[in-house]
Amino acid sequence: MPSIRNQIRELRARREMTQQQLADEVGVTRQTVIAMEQDKYSPSLETAFKVALALGVTLEQCFQYEPRGRR
Amino acid sequence: MALSYREKSLYASLVAEILIYGPYFFFHHENTVNKVAGMIAAIIVLQLLLQALIALFSRNRMTDERDRLIELRGYRAGYLTFATLMVVGLALLWFHAAHGSFSLNKPWVGLHFLSVFFGMLVLADITKTVTQIVSYRRAL
Repeated sequence: MPSIRNQIRELRARREMTQQQLADEVGVTRQTVIAMEQDKYSPSLETAFKVALALGVTLEQCFQYEPRGRR
Repeated sequence: MALSYREKSLYASLVAEILIYGPYFFFHHENTVNKVAGMIAAIIVLQLLLQALIALFSRNRMTDERDRLIELRGYRAGYLTFATLMVVGLALLWFHAAHGSFSLNKPWVGLHFLSVFFGMLVLADITKTVTQIVSYRRAL
């Protein structure tokens, strides 16, 4: 499992956004949004900022870094 | 299973590679320079046709950073396959030539080398495509 986790699914649901809407706003494919929500893909810093911006939260509220072995 | 534009394109590439290159391995003894040239022309035409069809029926043809990462991963796997096959091939050539079981003076040696190198390229290409498909299926 990656050491970067995120709350994209919860935040997106709170804003009643679809995966496609978020993907269009961020400039990625819907498959990438799905991969991020499943914690299977850690986006670049630029995309992470764009996701947080699209969801109306700070980067820290959207993404959390958990060093391996601490969970 | 919702496939992205890139995934559809990769499956089409794999089908084209298997259709065109498959016979090459099964009828290895009948290979000629013309057949290899014909195969290269055929794969170009078939790829163009398939990719044009996919592009025609795909509304969203966008690619992003994850697509580029998967593409790089595929090229890495393809390169490693090609380099490994090359080293193994050269080692076998040296071994057989050193023991006198393979003569480099025979007239068919040129075609044999063309055939082997082309086969290596084909295997590397298929490895690249399969790695990319697997990366997409596993999310990365």
